[in-house]
Order: sequence, then C-alpha cells, then structure tokens
Amino acid sequence: MNLGPGSLFSPTAEHDLVRQTVAEFARREVDPRAAESDRRGTLDVALFRRLGDLGLLGVTVPAADGGAGMDAVAAVIVHHELAKYDPGFTLAYLAHAMLFVNNFYHCSNAEQRARYLPKVLSGEWVAGMGMTEPGAGTDVLGMTTTARRDGDHYVLRGTKTYITNACEAHCFLVYAKVGGRVTAFVVDRDCPGFSTSGHIDKLGMRGSTMAELVFDDARVPAQNLLGREGDGIGHMMRNLEIERLTLAAISVGIADRCVEIMVRFANERQAFGRPIVDFGQIQRYIADGFAMTEAAKCLVYNVAREVGPDVRNRIGSDAAKLFAGPVGKTVADYAMQVMGGAGYCREFPVERLWRDAKLIEIGGGTLEAHQKNLAKDLSRHVRG
Amino acid sequence: MKILVTVKRIPDPVEPPKFAGGQIDTSSAKWVQNEFDEYAIETALRLAEVGGGTERLAEVVVVSVCPATKREHVTNFLAMGANRAIVVDADDTQLDAQSVAQLIAAVFRKEGADLLVSGKLSQDNESNEVSQRVAGLLDLPQATFAASVVWDRSANALQVAREVEDGVETKRVPLPAVLSVDLRIVLPTSVKNGATPEGHPYPDKPRLASLRGITMAKTKKVDVLKPADLGVSVGAKVVSRGVVAPPKRQAGKIVASVEELVEKLATEAKVL
Ligand SMILES: Cc1cc2nc3c(=O)[nH]c(=O)nc-3n(C[C@H](O)[C@H](O)[C@H](O)COP(=O)(O)OP(=O)(O)OC[C@H]3O[C@@H](n4cnc5c(N)ncnc54)[C@H](O)[C@@H]3O)c2cc1C
Repeated sequence: MNLGPGSLFSPTAEHDLVRQTVAEFARREVDPRAAESDRRGTLDVALFRRLGDLGLLGVTVPAADGGAGMDAVAAVIVHHELAKYDPGFTLAYLAHAMLFVNNFYHCSNAEQRARYLPKVLSGEWVAGMGMTEPGAGTDVLGMTTTARRDGDHYVLRGTKTYITNACEAHCFLVYAKVGGRVTAFVVDRDCPGFSTSGHIDKLGMRGSTMAELVFDDARVPAQNLLGREGDGIGHMMRNLEIERLTLAAISVGIADRCVEIMVRFANERQAFGRPIVDFGQIQRYIADGFAMTEAAKCLVYNVAREVGPDVRNRIGSDAAKLFAGPVGKTVADYAMQVMGGAGYCREFPVERLWRDAKLIEIGGGTLEAHQKNLAKDLSRHVRG
Repeated sequence: MKILVTVKRIPDPVEPPKFAGGQIDTSSAKWVQNEFDEYAIETALRLAEVGGGTERLAEVVVVSVCPATKREHVTNFLAMGANRAIVVDADDTQLDAQSVAQLIAAVFRKEGADLLVSGKLSQDNESNEVSQRVAGLLDLPQATFAASVVWDRSANALQVAREVEDGVETKRVPLPAVLSVDLRIVLPTSVKNGATPEGHPYPDKPRLASLRGITMAKTKKVDVLKPADLGVSVGAKVVSRGVVAPPKRQAGKIVASVEELVEKLATEAKVL
C-alpha cells in the first residue's frame, strides 16, 4: 500500500518525513534494544531521551511552545512506526507524550507551561498520568481519590494503580475529586505525602513499567491545579480520544510487523519438500492477517484526520480501538501459528509482540467499554 | 564560510529497474535521495555546527539539479539542517556529468562559496565524476573519497584523509576547495572543526531529521534558477545509445557425482 505523501497515511510531505525519521530511528536504535528491555521489564530511559532529541515528545504541542506543532495523524505515524519494533517502549512514549504532554498542554496556563514544558519536551523529565484506581477502572467516575483545599495547597488522598511510567516519572497528571467534582492536578515526585509503589510486573509491554501512585495527604501547591476545580472530566474526555487512537496505532504497528515476519518465514521454511507458503492453510493466515491489518490501518488513519484539540470524536476513536485492538492480537497469533515452534521462542520477536498486543484490548478502555460507549453514542439521535 | 552541498534524487535503488525503448524507464520510479549525499550533508553540518550548542561557523546551502516540481529530496536535506537550498530547474535524467558539473560550478561562483562537499558518487549511475569536474572547471584544489576531515580555521585549510589502495593518504587543502566524501566520513570522530568539544556524541550515521527540522524545512528559502540564469547552456555531449538488462541466467543443473560434474564442465560448459 502506498504510504507516501498525499496518501491517507501521510497526507502531507511533512507526515512522510516524520514517518521516515521514526521508522529509521526505530530500526536503528529501538529494535536492537527491545528484547533486552522485555527481558528486564524496564524502561530504557537513555533511549527515551533520544525521543526528546528528535522532537517526538512534543509532537502535538504548537511550535511556538517548543513542540513540533503537528496533528493527530502525525501522532499516529509515530506510534505505528515505533510499535513495529517495541510496543512496550511505545507505550511509555504514549503515556508521556499523549497522556501527560498533550493533555497538560491543553489544560495548563502560561506559568505552568513555562515550568514543565522544557523538561518534558526534552525528555529530561519522564511523565505519566493517573486516572485508574484499584476500585475504579472502567467506572472511572467512581474514583475515590479526593483533594481538598488547604491554604495555598491542595491535600490529596487516595491511590491510583496501573500507572505507566510510574517507576521513572518525575511528574504526573492526576485526577482527584474536589467536593465530588473531578479535577486535574500536576504532581511532582518529590511532593510531600506522595510515593509510588514497587514495580507491578506484567505479561507484555515490558519495555515500559507500571506502579501505583499513593497520596497520603500529599500536599500539592495550588498553582498546580490544571484549569479550574471540576474541569477534570472535560480534560479527561478530550484526551481519551487521542489516547485510544494512538493505542489503536500501536496495534496496527504490531500487526504490520507480524505480517512482514510471517510472509518471510513462510517463504523460507520448507516442509514436505516445498516452502510452507504453498499450503492453503498457511495462505489463509497470511491473507486474512494482511487484510485485517490493512482494514485497521485505514480506519485508524481515517479517524485520525478528525481528532484534535477542538473537535470531539469519541465515536471514531472508540471504533478505531475496538476494531484495531483485536487485529493486533489476532495477527500476532497468526504469525506465531505460521512459525510453529520458532514463533513460540524468544529468538524471534513474535512471541513478544503477541504478549504486548493483548494490552490494547484492556488499557485506555476495555473492549466492553468501547462497545458500551459506541452503543450509547450511536443511540443518542434515536432516543433524542 | 559558506559550504555548498550537492544533492541528487535517484530512482529507489531497492526497486528493480524497468526498461523501455532501450533505456531505463523512470516514469513510474519512486524517487529517493542519494545516500552518499546524506554523508555529504552530515559532513557539512558537522563542519558548520558547534556540537552541543546553537552557534554556526558556516552557512550550509544545498544545491540540486532537478525539475523544480520534483524537489522533495531537497526538503529532506533542509529538514536535516541545511540553511537554504538552490534548485537548478532542469531534467537531470537528460544531462551528462559535464553539464551537471558546469551548473554546479556556476552556482559555486555565483554564491562565492568556500567549499563544495559532494558524495563520492550517486547510486544510480555510479559515475563518480561530478566533483572532480567541478574542481577542474573552477580550477580549485580537491580531495576525493575523504574518510576524515579536520578544518584548520586559522590556516583556512582542510586536512583530509583519503582511503587509497595502499593505505590512508593525508592531504592539506587550502580553501576554497572541493571535497568528495566516502562512507567513513560519518563515523563519530571523522569530522573536526576545532569548535565542537572532543567526544561530542555523534552517531556513526547521518543524522535523522528531527520533527522540528521537518516543520522548519518548509519555512527555509529555496531559490529556483534556470540554467540560462547561470549562463550555462546545457546539452549532453555524452549520449547514451542504449541500456539493456543483463541476460537472464539459465537455470542450473544438479549433478549426481563429481565425475558427472567434470564431464559436463568439459563437454557442455567447455570450461575445462
Ligand atoms: C499495561 C497497562 C498500563 C496502564 N496504564 C495506565 C495509565 O498510565 N494510567 C491510568 O490511569 N491507567 C492505566 N491503566 C489502567 C487501564 O486503563 C485499566 O486497566 C482499564 O481502564 C480497565 O480498568 P480495570 O482494569 O479496573 O478493569 P475493570 O473496569 O474492573 O473491568 C473488568 C472487566 O469488567 C468489564 N466491565 C466493567 N464495566 C463494565 C460495563 N459497564 N459493562 C460491561 N463490562 C464491564 C471490563 O470490560 C472488564 O472486562 C493501564 C493498564 C494496563 C494493563
């Protein structure tokens, strides 16, 4: 498929150049370190800072504020190309650049931007976002973390869990309820009363880490309130769209790479005196896997054209992730099946991609959450 | 100091060439930048910049002879960090090396440049002629196939190491001059300008364009000149009479024994 300038996948020459830069960076620098990060279950912070050198950490932040000033399509390109080689590392990038930087940019004031942007755009600081709680995942508005004003501080109490980058991050965008209304704050690691738990080990996406954020009457300066009290839901809903879209792009990257690997393997591997690509059952995995990948890619890029800070597109972003999530998982599974024992072994990246792919059906909203949202949004005009 | 860097578009070398009418058919080719030109721009940028800082010791101008409407490759070099570009609007597929060299020499004179940096060859026809011809036309000293270069700013000269058959030759070249570069010029310590701190972490490859570079590229100046603006009338003196694909290899035969092999080499292949 033509990914070049003017196509759905690279609408402008700049998009095409971004793809070239990220694809080359991923091949040169991310690929050689991916297996090791997976084995250790750690974020490669030095490699992460390279994302800052290349200007990728502020992909959606306007140029006047030190970012690249690009759109959701560019953000999708970055996730798509990085995820071909290391979805776990890409998840750390997503948690920083989408969940923190993009969200923070749109809900912060000039003073807050001046304090945080230089550090998070360069990669000097790693960042994350805390929404999920032990008792509230899909039911996010059921969160019980509270904040109460105390002089020139807010006092936060509660626990966030499954927070990507929590082991390394220097700051977090955190949602807590002030008098029952969801409100966003930026919290620094050295804030008194704040701590993170130990690393929560996980099946896949092991190039990024995850831990709990614990607020034990944490004292957050009032100047770290993002927007106004009660604005949190607006920030959250807006940012969930680009989060879901870029998670879907990770799935497309996984699927793309798995198709490439299985086609090569099926042509090289001989059985019964011929390459296994000659067998109809193998052809079905390849052809079905390819067709699903292309369908997911088209949907994700098409939706990306209508995601941005000033447009709401929950239907599109839910649909993109609902469809693309299972595609990454299924195509990774096809690739493993085509490869037999080799696919199950660590020597090839497929078993890692297979473990990584499952997350897209859970994180940033479960499949069921997308189904629930879509049915509700699609019924709106019928019900009035 | 002004450094001029030649850059060229070539048909993607990964795709097998198509033939039509006794020539290579580029009508449906995907055009990409010549890889050696990435080495050239990397050399120029390392000479010009103070690694780790924002100061520039030289202006880096890329020049390409190509149709004005087909200059995507030029944008790529601007995104990597060149200051501006000059496009000489001509159909490069119809020009010979001498015409291209005349155009580049004319741009060099017009700009009053101090240094020309070229890749040692372009991957499409691999003729390895242009920089030498430019040096001849301009009557300037040259160093070809540079593997490393040190800019001695106080002496206004370059010290160039060239890999030759029997070792490494080191040359001192006063500026203005012409330089063509080979693969090793992009190793981390190959280019020194006396200002970038020793040990500055250059990669062992040409740099990737940053997102900022990419978005800035479209704001950079690109001058489009016609050959006539440069007082050059182009016309190929070298005419290509025909290009054909090499004959297809015949399928080999599998022999059962050494005796059979020797017999076939003697009687069929007639090489023994
Ligand atoms: C690797 C990883 C990284 C993560 N990173 C972050 C992060 O950086 N920041 C952050 O805030 N969170 C993060 N999360 C949390 C993630 O967003 C949640 O796991 C997700 O939203 C689901 O919430 P839950 O795990 O509490 O599941 P639950 O909400 O408890 O769901 C359990 C099951 O019940 C189903 N269910 C729940 N409600 C309904 C309903 N109404 N109808 C039908 N079915 C329902 C779900 O679909 C699911 O199948 C991460 C999670 C993982 C695994």
